[in-house]
Amino acid sequence: MSAGLRRAVIDLDAYRANLDLVRSWMQPVEVMAIMKADAYGHGLEPIALTAVDAGIRWIGVLTVPAALRLRAIGVGEDVHLFTWQHDPALDFRDAIDSAVDLGVSNVAELRRIVDAVDQRPARVHLGVDSGLHRDGATAEDWTALVELARDAQRDGRIEVVAAYTHLAESSDADDSAAVAHFDAMVEQAEDLGLDIRWEHVAASLAGLERKEFRKDMVRMGANLFGIPGADGVSAADLGLTPVMTLSASVAKTKRVPVGTGVSYDYTYRTDTETTLALVPVGYADGVPRAAQGRLEVAIDDTRYPIAGRVAMDQFLVDVGDDDVRVGDTVTLFGTGEDGEATVLEWGRALDTIGEEIVCRIGSRVPRVYEGHSGEGRVGEYLRGERS
Amino acid sequence: MSAFTGVTVDREALIANYATVAEQVAPSGVVAVVKADAYGHGAVEVARALVDAGADWLGVADLDEAVALREAGIDEGVRILAWLHAPDEDFRRAARYGITPAVSSVEQLSTAADADVPEVHLVVDTGLSRNGAVESEWPELFATAAALTRNGDRTRIEGLMSHLSNASRSDDLDQDVALQRAIDGLAAVGIRPDVVHLAASAGSLALPETRRDLARVGLALYGLSPFPDRTSADLGLRPAMRVTAAVLRTVAVPAGDGVSYGYTWRAEQDTRLAVIGLGYADGFDRAYGNHVSVRIGDRRFPVVGRVAMNAMHIDIGDADVAIGDEVVLWGDPANGDPAVEDWAAAIGTINYEVVARVGRSVERRTT
Repeated sequence: MSAGLRRAVIDLDAYRANLDLVRSWMQPVEVMAIMKADAYGHGLEPIALTAVDAGIRWIGVLTVPAALRLRAIGVGEDVHLFTWQHDPALDFRDAIDSAVDLGVSNVAELRRIVDAVDQRPARVHLGVDSGLHRDGATAEDWTALVELARDAQRDGRIEVVAAYTHLAESSDADDSAAVAHFDAMVEQAEDLGLDIRWEHVAASLAGLERKEFRKDMVRMGANLFGIPGADGVSAADLGLTPVMTLSASVAKTKRVPVGTGVSYDYTYRTDTETTLALVPVGYADGVPRAAQGRLEVAIDDTRYPIAGRVAMDQFLVDVGDDDVRVGDTVTLFGTGEDGEATVLEWGRALDTIGEEIVCRIGSRVPRVYEGHSGEGRVGEYLRGERS
Repeated sequence: MSAFTGVTVDREALIANYATVAEQVAPSGVVAVVKADAYGHGAVEVARALVDAGADWLGVADLDEAVALREAGIDEGVRILAWLHAPDEDFRRAARYGITPAVSSVEQLSTAADADVPEVHLVVDTGLSRNGAVESEWPELFATAAALTRNGDRTRIEGLMSHLSNASRSDDLDQDVALQRAIDGLAAVGIRPDVVHLAASAGSLALPETRRDLARVGLALYGLSPFPDRTSADLGLRPAMRVTAAVLRTVAVPAGDGVSYGYTWRAEQDTRLAVIGLGYADGFDRAYGNHVSVRIGDRRFPVVGRVAMNAMHIDIGDADVAIGDEVVLWGDPANGDPAVEDWAAAIGTINYEVVARVGRSVERRTT
């Protein structure tokens, strides 16, 4: 296979190992594997099938169209697909027919779901806004939402599967207050005659650190991709392996004299005669334009700084007198095992979080799947037998 | 009726911008640059519009992008130029799809000739230090080119190109002088390319002397200004990209409440928030939160709290905003929409990066 210009290698074995490890930590609590945003930029279908092969029973995908993509490649109804952000124009019929779990935030949304029910009842998770203010019902709306859900369930039009909330992870105290609010809402629902079978409130960070927030199920996203959320904790500290390795092939090298300006606006000038190596990845691919002075890349175990502005399709590194050649592999980030940076380091250097780094790796970077690909459902999918 | 969440590209604006640019750079021709998914606008639809507008050259970074355009039906009457190549590229698909590679080295040139690519352009580095052969490599590169011609090989040197650094007027003019040396060097071995091209949007609009035979124009065709001190309207251009989202929910929050992850914003007084379903996974940086504003109806409202992976919050106060209403993130300021440059300034970058970063996850439509 051609190495091409650039690639994001997705290690499905690493994903599987992370998933197994996280599930062992959470025992006996259920894990919902979160794969919104095209599995955090890793590619939804291969990640989902890897998780299904590992026996996962709950997957969170944010939107109904993403859930239907998974049903279309044969993710069966024994795997629950949780969605919670719905376009106001969405027709819920396909979701209900395909047994997609629907998070609902307000009475109007639940009414649209109930109205869309035909043969089988819709599977519904009632959302509580506990402070994040993104989705879920406010305290004022909760009673009306619960009463509508209770009545619709009694009429056989919906099945209330769960109650859930998202935590803001601002501080331990804020999160404790949020969970207390959630508990009060669940109690209120039960007082109104609605039993809640599953409760899920914690995502990756709180799921690890606040055992009391685990409830019946924890929604795990970033950890499974080897991106730890807690400050100061690396993936390796936790025993997790970063799943994505972003690399490119040196497309050009050139020997230039001292004082040579590099890239737009000449924000970098060579301080000696040196060799520049062209890396064909740019800001359209997700490396920020302002990465000069912040990021280093690895070529053959050695780190080199980005020289000059990152352009739309490419940037340069100053490799000094080292023997770097066209075709050499440049690793932008990966597991860190071969001297390259990790996503965690990129996040710190760019004042953001690892999730943003992987999510913004663009569509021009092909995802190359390694590990686990010969077997199981994911193997079938990667051989084109499930699309 | 619920508003569209996604990118709407105004085909008429693209066509008008092409006409404006073509007139301005005439008698030079235009290479319409549609790399990086047409700077986030959607390469296939944009290419079709620009071809309808009269473009006979399209420019992309790499052969994958070029092949995708051919496979989408851009026929070989339209030339496609690609200038960034993988080390293991054999150029056979360039020959097969009628794509013109611009080559930066003796190796690339020889490989293209071996693949029977009919025309190539040579890329020379005149100062940007990016791709392009540096001056010390010119003699060998030009000699190789001359040998192809002498041997009657199928491959012809059709063009010569370089790229400006935009560092300063004098730096750019120095690059033009260096390019002339390359033209002279080629002439000395008997090669006179049909077309020489150096300037992109900024150079072709601000430095007419750098235009040569073709101007490679990207940003300006999308209706955006490459200059920090001149707007789209100043240049007679219309921004073609409009980003909108439907309000997913509205929620009342009491004074003192925090919003979104980390509570980086707290309500100073009782207020209401609207949530839309675009976030950093779609190319809207986390850091936009608390630094940009959006349009709803005829009013502007601030984006508050951290932008999340798939959502952001807007402080709407007591405005009459309902689920399904249209939120405009950016569009054409001439119509009252926020400018993409405001978003760029909020995170310390340029309009190019803001539009190119809008992800494939965001639905595109052309009107």
